[in-house]
Amino acid sequence: MYSKVALAIAFSPRMEALIAEARRLIGIFQGELVLIHVGVKTPELESTLNEILKRHCSDLKRIKTIWKEGKPAKTILKTCEEEQVNLLVLGALKKEGLLTYYLGSIARKVIRKSPCSVLTLIDPKIETTRFSKVVINGTQLEVTPRVIEKGLKFCQVEGAGQIHILNEIKLYGLQMATAGEGSEDEVSTTRRKLVQEEIKYVQEILDGLDQTGLRINIKVTAGKWAVELVRYCESIEADLLIMGDENGYSFIDRIFPHDLEDILSELPCNLLIVK
Amino acid sequence: MEKLAHGEVVNLLIQLAVMLIAARIFAEIAQKFKQPAVVGEILAGILLGPTILGGVFPELFDSLFKSNAMTNIALDGYIQISVVLLLFIAGLEVELNLVLSQGKRALNISFFGLVIPFAFGFTAPFFFAEFFGFAEGNKLLFSLFMGTAMAISALPVIVRTLMDLNLFKSRMGMMIVSAAMVDDIIGWMIFSIILSFMGKEATTMGLGYTILLTVGFAIFMVTVGKSLINKVLPWVNKRLAWPGGLISLSLSACFLAAAFTEYIGIHAIFGAFILGVAIGDSDHMPERAKEIIHQFVNNIFAPVFFVSIGLKVNFFTNFDPLLVLVVIIVAYAGKVIGCGFGSLRGGLGKWESMAIGFGMNARGAMEIILGLIALENGLINEKLFVALVVMALVTSMTSGPLMKWALKKGEATEKNLT
Repeated sequence: MYSKVALAIAFSPRMEALIAEARRLIGIFQGELVLIHVGVKTPELESTLNEILKRHCSDLKRIKTIWKEGKPAKTILKTCEEEQVNLLVLGALKKEGLLTYYLGSIARKVIRKSPCSVLTLIDPKIETTRFSKVVINGTQLEVTPRVIEKGLKFCQVEGAGQIHILNEIKLYGLQMATAGEGSEDEVSTTRRKLVQEEIKYVQEILDGLDQTGLRINIKVTAGKWAVELVRYCESIEADLLIMGDENGYSFIDRIFPHDLEDILSELPCNLLIVK
Repeated sequence: MEKLAHGEVVNLLIQLAVMLIAARIFAEIAQKFKQPAVVGEILAGILLGPTILGGVFPELFDSLFKSNAMTNIALDGYIQISVVLLLFIAGLEVELNLVLSQGKRALNISFFGLVIPFAFGFTAPFFFAEFFGFAEGNKLLFSLFMGTAMAISALPVIVRTLMDLNLFKSRMGMMIVSAAMVDDIIGWMIFSIILSFMGKEATTMGLGYTILLTVGFAIFMVTVGKSLINKVLPWVNKRLAWPGGLISLSLSACFLAAAFTEYIGIHAIFGAFILGVAIGDSDHMPERAKEIIHQFVNNIFAPVFFVSIGLKVNFFTNFDPLLVLVVIIVAYAGKVIGCGFGSLRGGLGKWESMAIGFGMNARGAMEIILGLIALENGLINEKLFVALVVMALVTSMTSGPLMKWALKKGEATEKNLT
């Protein structure tokens, strides 16, 4: 599925853990790893990296390191394109003194423009573990059928135990207030119909897909989908959220951040953005 | 503190009961004919007001609605609160996230759906002011008002139509809803600016100051105000009684915002509307709470307000068929051409664009509120007000069937082509 995985490294304290996680991924996907460092190549840095790689990888032929100088986001994206990477791994930043994570400006820029899928890890560990509780964004967007398809494949390869697909009823309050002009039966029928329609939407996508070995739970909420996704991931303590990225980012999106930006500003768990 | 006398209290309670009962009966009848409740509520007002009850049983009408001046002042207070609350829930309905996620197509529809009806509404009264009942005052303000009246839309009617046609969640449905939201925000802003000029000389400096104040207040509320609300609401939801705490504090905030805008010279309705937008768009405002606030306002305050419209104006003596016809034509032409053109520019088909135009054409309650405030401020006369109310009802009643017709035509054309 992801035969070529890239990892952007910055010689931070968490670099070794990130390499260990990326190593685990190429193990399950039977792929290769490309390490991208944007900055000056020095003998010290090179030897530090080699030591870490030796500790975690028995087969160094599957790993390639690229050292480049330039603007970080632009260089990472260009390298991904040149190397035909299909999954880019990034590390998130931790808010000082808090147990919350967010994405820095370079990582956001990379996510916005990346041609390949991007996996952001909030708390990488040297002793890696698989993702067991996965949440997939099932809200009605053009990209959703593809996100669910790719998400399920990822979960199958990963061996994820429980998958939750979250869909939300748009403008529930307004719809119910409008339906409130009917009788009691009509109101409850409308309420039921709104929930059933969202379940049906996800179910129809699932019907055409291979679900072998997966336990899937469809959950319907009401509200803004990005906010609801964050809340749901927090409430079930999910360890991976899978979603798509539908829009190009315009000037207006920067002034009024919404949807994906809401999630990037406060990551509830690891995040896989399917492209 | 002055109090209502025993008889005045009884009179007020009977007024409220009669208005609520009549509104309910006629709203139910309207719904049987698949029409919005507001259509029935307006008809109930016409029945109870000088048009019918006042003409047939004048003594009964007088004893019910004209016998106690103090009672009428109290009722007017209730109606004022109703208007503020109606604007508050109109704001709650706006979801900026949805608007932003719809992108350029929705912006095209909202831009042309606002500019073209506004231009139509502005031009006709500007050149034929007397025909539209303009007698004295500022012709520019009068024309600007008519432009706004043509540009505004009624989101609840649009949502109901889309739900009935099973189009609410479709790409077209979401585009219509978000375009209507944008038009409403801008429409109410323009209207607030016009109102703040009533009775004043419209100088360039004064105009710039009012625009700055209005736009500044709106931007402040949806940025700083919203982030404050985002900080307070989780505490309110967790620590106070639910939904009681949330509802009472939301309404208090609405009244405070309304009082503030009224104090600084923008109409109270604008404060209520923008606060509704900020609260409704907050991440922590549960949809269930929005539904409860909607039901509370729609069933306790809105019916009395809409019935009161019929009590204030005689719809028979003020009905000018030619004026009504012209207002309806201008309204249809502006919205259908404007939104249709915007949709065509956005890459949608001819019939689909026309359907969007018909969908956005519903004016409903918002037009009536707008008209009433203009009437009370002496901006328009009773004949034009009646024409606007009739236009609001006609556009709301025909929006669904015309949209359905255009979509069927589109499907038929597609079938023929294939």
